[in-house]
Amino acid sequence: MTVGARRCLALGDPPGRPYRRDNNLMPRTITAQNLQALIDALVGAGIRVVGPKRVDTLCLYAPLANGEELELNEQPRRSAKEAFFPPCEEILSFERQGANTSVRDPDLSRLPATVLIGLRPCDAAAPEILDAVFSWDYQDDFFLERRRKTTIVGIACTRADDACFCTAVGLAPDCRDGSDLFLIPLEGGGYAAEALTDKGAALLERHAELFTQAESAPRLPLAEPRAAELDLTKIKAWLDGHFESPFWREIAAHCIGCGACAFLCPACHCFDIVDEGSEAKGCRRKSWDACGFGKFTLHASAHNPRDAQANRYRNRIMHKFKYYHDKFGRTLCTGCGRCIRACPVGIDLAAVLEDINNNG
Amino acid sequence: MNQTAQKTESAPLVDETYYAAVTEAIRAEAARLLKEGAVAAVIGYVPGRRPGTALPAVVTTPERAAELIFSPACRNNLSLYLTKAKQDAVPKGKLAIVVKGCDLRALAGLLGESQIKRENLHIIGIACAGVFAANADQGLPLNETTIAKKCRECTVRLPAEVDFTAGALPKLPRLTPVEAEELARLEALTPAERWAFWKEQFSRCIRCLACRQVCPFCFCAQCLCDRNRPQAVENSVRPAGNLSWHIVRAMHLAGRCAGCAECERVCPMDIPLNLLNRKMAEELKERFDYEASLSPREKGPLTSYQEDDDESFIK
Ligand code: SF4
Ligand code: SF4
Ligand code: SF4
Ligand code: SF4
Ligand code: SF4
Repeated sequence: MTVGARRCLALGDPPGRPYRRDNNLMPRTITAQNLQALIDALVGAGIRVVGPKRVDTLCLYAPLANGEELELNEQPRRSAKEAFFPPCEEILSFERQGANTSVRDPDLSRLPATVLIGLRPCDAAAPEILDAVFSWDYQDDFFLERRRKTTIVGIACTRADDACFCTAVGLAPDCRDGSDLFLIPLEGGGYAAEALTDKGAALLERHAELFTQAESAPRLPLAEPRAAELDLTKIKAWLDGHFESPFWREIAAHCIGCGACAFLCPACHCFDIVDEGSEAKGCRRKSWDACGFGKFTLHASAHNPRDAQANRYRNRIMHKFKYYHDKFGRTLCTGCGRCIRACPVGIDLAAVLEDINNNG
Repeated sequence: MNQTAQKTESAPLVDETYYAAVTEAIRAEAARLLKEGAVAAVIGYVPGRRPGTALPAVVTTPERAAELIFSPACRNNLSLYLTKAKQDAVPKGKLAIVVKGCDLRALAGLLGESQIKRENLHIIGIACAGVFAANADQGLPLNETTIAKKCRECTVRLPAEVDFTAGALPKLPRLTPVEAEELARLEALTPAERWAFWKEQFSRCIRCLACRQVCPFCFCAQCLCDRNRPQAVENSVRPAGNLSWHIVRAMHLAGRCAGCAECERVCPMDIPLNLLNRKMAEELKERFDYEASLSPREKGPLTSYQEDDDESFIK
């Protein structure tokens, strides 16, 4: 299989794996007002609804109290991965009573049913990419249970900036990958709605009164990311042969080793496990980790296989464009551009890939 | 973020010819130094792929000196790369470095803390008109809305004690302070209200540590906040750990912080860290008559001992 040959399901593509093309289900239309009403109805029914919400100067995915809080004009600063993989979660707790120590697992059945709404394709596609690693040698129920209980409502993207490059990594502004229900903005404020999976169909059917049958207005023009085209197969071939290369120092010697790129990324999924509390009572927590950190993979012996900053950045590229493909046949990047916007020292992933693509 | 920034019609603060002149001066000086073999490298800025952006670069050949630029996107405090924490990024030997006034304050602090030797540096100071704010639309010129808050109140536009000054300071309009007003607003709140404000801000912190990694004074080989046996500060993203982290950060930088505001600029969660820095600076000024400046001083206010120090707080 060639890397990136797998294109996302965009408009007009033949139906793929879990995709439903059930004619009596689509197309439907929902007005902007009814979209808010849908959120209100879900919240009213006790379902947790998480979507982009304005918080001070930025926009973040957060539980919505009502439909009005939904903010679709701005890409949330952090990705939607935290709905499945929170920045920090307790994976067990312990307490010593006399000579005995009791250990308790969290009750995952208490994780709430969630509707995750307003994800652009670069966010919606990521959880499905991550399923591979979270259900590989070990079934990570913390991630998978949330996946089971979450319905994703994606939305076609109508605004890109100069950091976006979804089109260069095989996605598109109208890519439906990962969405259960997909919304396409229409002129005048409504949305065409397509159910793509059973979960999406169920959501649509339960609230059928909020949708109308036909599309009432033309679709808004899609975003046009201005990213250069990339040949991911060629890039991978170059990576296969250039673990050692002066290139890494050239592009990343000045990387300061923070977690901004990894923490904002919808696809980065490294975590660290720490026991916190005291010997008498405490818990074990799983927290986001980042390959940029100097202590990432630092061994107890003090040896670190990724000893220099440039080598840690190399790991970032290798993991996304080579290792993940070797293992799972997927690219670990959706081109959302967050790492590019956030890097304190201007390291630009799209520029790095372009460089390998053109000169590698 | 570009996706939301509104195009605003605000007049440019300076003429484009100013940037061209500063850029030319830096290039000429860098090329000369590298040609003569006077320095091993010049730490400066080069343009990024996206229009209007710039990034740090370590230039080692006279040919590459032609890539150096100065623009409102040249926000990084490059003195960071002179510390032992970032020594991998630069070659050994004498280094030339491009600094703005606020960066130079940090450089002076590092010289004072004996982290670098003055004779190993060739300082290229910039007569500085200001740089972009963190989330400014970099497609726009530097104007009233795109300029960084620190630059609105800058007192160090003209570098001092440098080896070379790039450019001449253009006439600049007076800008009203924004950050000082925000600080005054916070100070006027009740402690409970202020607590609520910071609690809310810190709740967004994801402990990406960009604020620490970008700070020229966060060069400790072993940060207290990374220790796990025993753990001093909770590493996990939770209210208690976040609060401890921010207290430790503010306290360890009090009396050292140069006010470059890089920590705040790089915070992906837009936490206004420089308000804490400024509060600390105010306290230092009031209690010890100390201010970060362009001249290195051997002892900081919190790192020196005097026989007549007030010790009445020790019970
Ligand atoms: S690597 Fe960067 S562009 Fe790719 S998905 Fe992660 S944050 Fe987005
Ligand atoms: S690439 Fe940028 S964001 Fe990522 S660790 Fe390095 S400095 Fe931080
Ligand atoms: S604070 Fe002053 S010296 Fe620093 S960038 Fe702004 S104007 Fe220039
Ligand atoms: S940069 Fe911001 S989010 Fe990251 S650790 Fe510092 S305060 Fe927290
Ligand atoms: S604490 Fe912030 S403002 Fe102060 S020197 Fe460090 S990065 Fe600059």
